[in-house]
Amino acid sequence: MIWHYLVRRLFLLSFVFFALTCFAFSLGHLFPGDPLVNFSGISQPDDELLPILVQQYQLDNGYLQQYIAFLQRILQGDWGLSLASQQPVLYELSQVFPATLELVAYALLISFVLGVPLGLLAAIKASHWSGRVISTIALLGYSLPIFWWALLMIMLFSIGLGWFPTSGRISVLYEIPSVTGFMLPDILLSGQTYWQAALQDAIRHLWLPAFVLATYPTTVMIRFTRDAMLNVWQQSYIKTARAKGLSRSQVLYRHGLRNAMLPVMRQLGLQFSTLVTLAMISELIFSWPGIGLWLLDSISQRNYPAIQGGLLVISSLVILVNILMDVLHTLFNPLARKQANG
Amino acid sequence: MLLLDIRNLTLELETSQGLIRAVDRVSLSLREGEIRGLVGESGSGKSLIAKAIVGVLNQRWRIKADRFHWCGVDLLQLPYDQQRKIIGRDIAMIYQEPSKCLDPTALIAEQLHESIPNQLLKGGWWNRAREKRKKAIALLHKVGIKEHQSVLESYPYQLSEGVCQKVMIAMAIAKNPKLLIADEPTTALEASTQAQLFRLISSLNQLKGMSVLLISNELDSIARYTHHLSVLYCGQLVESGETAKLLAQPFHPYTNALIKSVPEFQPELAPKSQLYALPGSIPTLQHLPVGCRLGPRCPNARKECVHTPALERKQHHFFSCHFPLQYKEPQ
Repeated sequence: MIWHYLVRRLFLLSFVFFALTCFAFSLGHLFPGDPLVNFSGISQPDDELLPILVQQYQLDNGYLQQYIAFLQRILQGDWGLSLASQQPVLYELSQVFPATLELVAYALLISFVLGVPLGLLAAIKASHWSGRVISTIALLGYSLPIFWWALLMIMLFSIGLGWFPTSGRISVLYEIPSVTGFMLPDILLSGQTYWQAALQDAIRHLWLPAFVLATYPTTVMIRFTRDAMLNVWQQSYIKTARAKGLSRSQVLYRHGLRNAMLPVMRQLGLQFSTLVTLAMISELIFSWPGIGLWLLDSISQRNYPAIQGGLLVISSLVILVNILMDVLHTLFNPLARKQANG
Repeated sequence: MLLLDIRNLTLELETSQGLIRAVDRVSLSLREGEIRGLVGESGSGKSLIAKAIVGVLNQRWRIKADRFHWCGVDLLQLPYDQQRKIIGRDIAMIYQEPSKCLDPTALIAEQLHESIPNQLLKGGWWNRAREKRKKAIALLHKVGIKEHQSVLESYPYQLSEGVCQKVMIAMAIAKNPKLLIADEPTTALEASTQAQLFRLISSLNQLKGMSVLLISNELDSIARYTHHLSVLYCGQLVESGETAKLLAQPFHPYTNALIKSVPEFQPELAPKSQLYALPGSIPTLQHLPVGCRLGPRCPNARKECVHTPALERKQHHFFSCHFPLQYKEPQ
């Protein structure tokens, strides 16, 4: 039964990827300039290379053959060269993408650790002053423009108090070879004598961007957890559980939390694309060498192969997370399973 | 011995249009081992009374009563914690829509286990889980579920409403309550399951001596299973007494109309003849008539009916009407 559902999700996934690759492929033709240059990233191919490239990209044939050739290249890992650096796009992506994932992961972690308990507190003490304060702060944080908030934080904590550095991932003093691409595991794996100092430095670099980026998902978590909990608290099964003689906290953990977290989880999947957009902005402000900064640079440089590659990676990530959350939601929610099976 | 003894219970709700008296001086008593039916149209305050007994009424309600005794203890005088403790120990309640009263994301086994209080288990904590499982299976057998294995491993949505209600009853009797309040327990069920559940409730009453307060809006379905009946109209108690006597000789016009509206109670009714019904409909809570609330609809209302009639008594039969039907003054 559940396999049936998973197969259907996989079908959906394949269709979305089909549409996505179609779009990415059409960009090569829609961007100004020669499609050959847009696809390959070689700005002035010489006379020897030109016929090989035309043959490889099937540019003499129709769009269908071109699209199939494009798909083959994507699958083989030949994503063209970056116009700016003349390095393979896929290599550059593999350098910057983990940095973004790391930042987003820590921001999400913060939002879970802070958002869920605060949301619960706001729901339980809905009419108490503490609940109101939490709701107000959540609304405030939800509506803060992140660029302004980030600058404010930099002015306060980096320039004013000097607690955290203003930009970057780690100080240039430390030489950390990239193994996984994620900074903290890399430092632990590096085996350098100064790994403790490097770790401290990396964490100090991480604090501010992660906190600024976490503002939005945390407030979203607070608001959704609060609403879901208030809704669940009205349900008959909560009253039944109370009538059984369970204490308030027992009812909360055994019946309230699980039912309230289901809609929150689903919302998290939907909010993920916003989170990635915000991550790009905060990368720009904190000069965090992630995919957002790289993509924004590529856009301003009209680096078409890089834009194409970045688009593919970011969209795939958002789609994958969305579908993953959907599947998780179904796995945890018996009612959704019932609907999924018709 | 009187288990529950309530005198002149009044429930009022403060609204923007003023104070609304939803339940007006209702008296209710319940002996040990008795099944009492509480009958009335929807909106007559049956469920409110049940909620007031279990103590889960909203904060906005004002509860007043001359006497609100549970086993000789006045519950309204007790602090909230103690009140909850006594009620949680002695009174269990089942509701109208059983499938909504079960947590949709928890297995039946989990929900059944947590309703078994620890002090009912023998042995130490190390075999508590096994004890609970044994007890849960026994409870399911008691309420007439034979496939305990599959039911325990199901989610509520996988079970029918009837089975859900049986599970609710199993959870309710897990703590051996003295009183079971069943608030329209069979509204969502089909006829055969309804009969099954009523038989289950009355067998629990006979075998374990558990008192039952059965709330319903269908007189015919509960008349067979109850020893005593209380009839409510618009938050006023109109008549109460032994079921058989009350059905044979109702004193109040409303009870009379209620009985006459059920074909089962009138074997000599001609085919295709019209059923008796009072004119008009039940008033809204904002526009309640003064005095006897049946007044505007009552076929033999007179001037005196603008004053609320006092509860009169003839042996075990109580009624509140100025002009009772077929009533002979005692010589």
